[in-house]
Amino acid sequence: MSFREALDSGKFVVTAEVGPPKGTDIDEMIHHIELLKGKVDAVNFTDNQSAVMRMNSLAGCKIALEHGVEPILQMTCRDRNRIGLQSDLLGAYALGVRNVLCMTGDHVSAGDHKGAKPVYDLESVQLLKVVDALNNGKDMEGNDLKGSTDFFQGAVVTPEANPLEPQLIKFEKKVKAGARFFQTQAIYDIEKFKDFMKYARRFPVKVLAGLVVLKSAGMAKFLNNFVPGIVVPEELIEELKAAGKEKALDTGLNICARHIRQLKDEGICDGVHIMAIGMEDKVPEILERAGLL
Amino acid sequence: MIITKKKDFQELMENIKNYRSFFLIGCSECASLCGTGSEEAIKELTEALQSEGKEVTGGFVPKTGCQVLGTKKELKAFKDQLAETDCILVMSCGAGTQTAVELFPDKPVYPTNDSLFLGNMTRFQMFDERCSLCGQCILDRTGGICPVTTCPKGLLNGPCGGMQDGHCEVSPDIPCAWVRIYERMKKLDKLEELRESVLDAKDWSHAQKPRALSTREKKEKK
Ligand code: SF4
Ligand code: SF4
Repeated sequence: MSFREALDSGKFVVTAEVGPPKGTDIDEMIHHIELLKGKVDAVNFTDNQSAVMRMNSLAGCKIALEHGVEPILQMTCRDRNRIGLQSDLLGAYALGVRNVLCMTGDHVSAGDHKGAKPVYDLESVQLLKVVDALNNGKDMEGNDLKGSTDFFQGAVVTPEANPLEPQLIKFEKKVKAGARFFQTQAIYDIEKFKDFMKYARRFPVKVLAGLVVLKSAGMAKFLNNFVPGIVVPEELIEELKAAGKEKALDTGLNICARHIRQLKDEGICDGVHIMAIGMEDKVPEILERAGLL
Repeated sequence: MIITKKKDFQELMENIKNYRSFFLIGCSECASLCGTGSEEAIKELTEALQSEGKEVTGGFVPKTGCQVLGTKKELKAFKDQLAETDCILVMSCGAGTQTAVELFPDKPVYPTNDSLFLGNMTRFQMFDERCSLCGQCILDRTGGICPVTTCPKGLLNGPCGGMQDGHCEVSPDIPCAWVRIYERMKKLDKLEELRESVLDAKDWSHAQKPRALSTREKKEKK
């Protein structure tokens, strides 16, 4: 069953994330792909995440397809103009990619090529419209395509943005522009997330809750202080502290599994997107603890 | 106005090391407000050059350095000093410098400033950028606040995920343009308009370089 079919069937869907390597050595990436195979519904391949130059997302997607894993192509607007974006989308489709996640992309000032010229010729809402056009056999200027795409296109949303309303207005624009699924920024407060879902359920889109595994109380504090749109509640920080250094990671995995279980059992959203960030190895274990394997 | 900043003096000296005498041209408009092309600035640079053993044949602050014909007329009075100098230094923006390049085809012309941006002066000698001359203004759609310029990504349809407590992901010193737009639209009771308006990608052909404009009326043929 494809990612799109899984979401349509009402199954509780799981996606994970793999970052292509900085370099040409793909052994570790293949190891992670193999590890996730058969355990998740699709895997996101990040697009020069945090503006750090790496192998492109499309190569990761193609390698995933060769290993029998369904990829989600992340596409940011930071590095390519409208010609480059459309051209890469056509190429991705021809290579077998069917899911695309349209994002704005972190600013170059966050990355390792700070003198790069940021492009942002389009942004996420406009890119979604472009995908919709390509799906209908036209480029963004209305020129006919010889063979159209049939992408399942998604976007991201930050349920804990502060202030929230401008973010929600943008969410609605993304829905209007054709987004069919959303993967959220990491959430930790399930009760607050329920409020967001009550709102999001008014729109005809599927929502996957973003989850980032907490490795320690220190990491939780770091997220609170330095990562926009992420709020780790005090109780969770206390829980990690109480576990002590030795057991902190184990507790973090438990928290993640517990959240997945609750999101699924209470039917809060349509699935989860696990961002393991360097702990891809742990994803199967989390899913086991959540009762999904 | 056009915001300019003095080049580092050592860098300037390196650029002009092959010349001995100089004529300095400022500008009474933007460059004077920036303190880079005023009478005062000319006096300072004259002294600095002299202390490096250079000769200054003269200096002048034209009314508007980017106005070619007007500047040409004003500089007539300095014909001799200009003829006798090795090199002309222009203490305004890149446009002013190229006025001099046009007027003096046989003389080397060097800029003393870096030209930075089109800016608003917020306080004495404090400037910020609010318009980047995109060629097709959308302020009518964004509550009068320009996201093309004041959002580092130039986003047209709302804040990115990097916004934190109203600040921009690029720096906590930059207020998020889209939170400002949202707040202003809210105050004006225009949130519905903001919600409804999905802006298309900009047509950058309007900003294709080099730009030129003539608003002269074509003379009717008799
Ligand atoms: S949209 Fe912004 S950059 Fe373009 S003309 Fe208007 S203020 Fe200037
Ligand atoms: S935080 Fe706001 S101003 Fe900064 S890049 Fe994102 S949308 Fe633009």
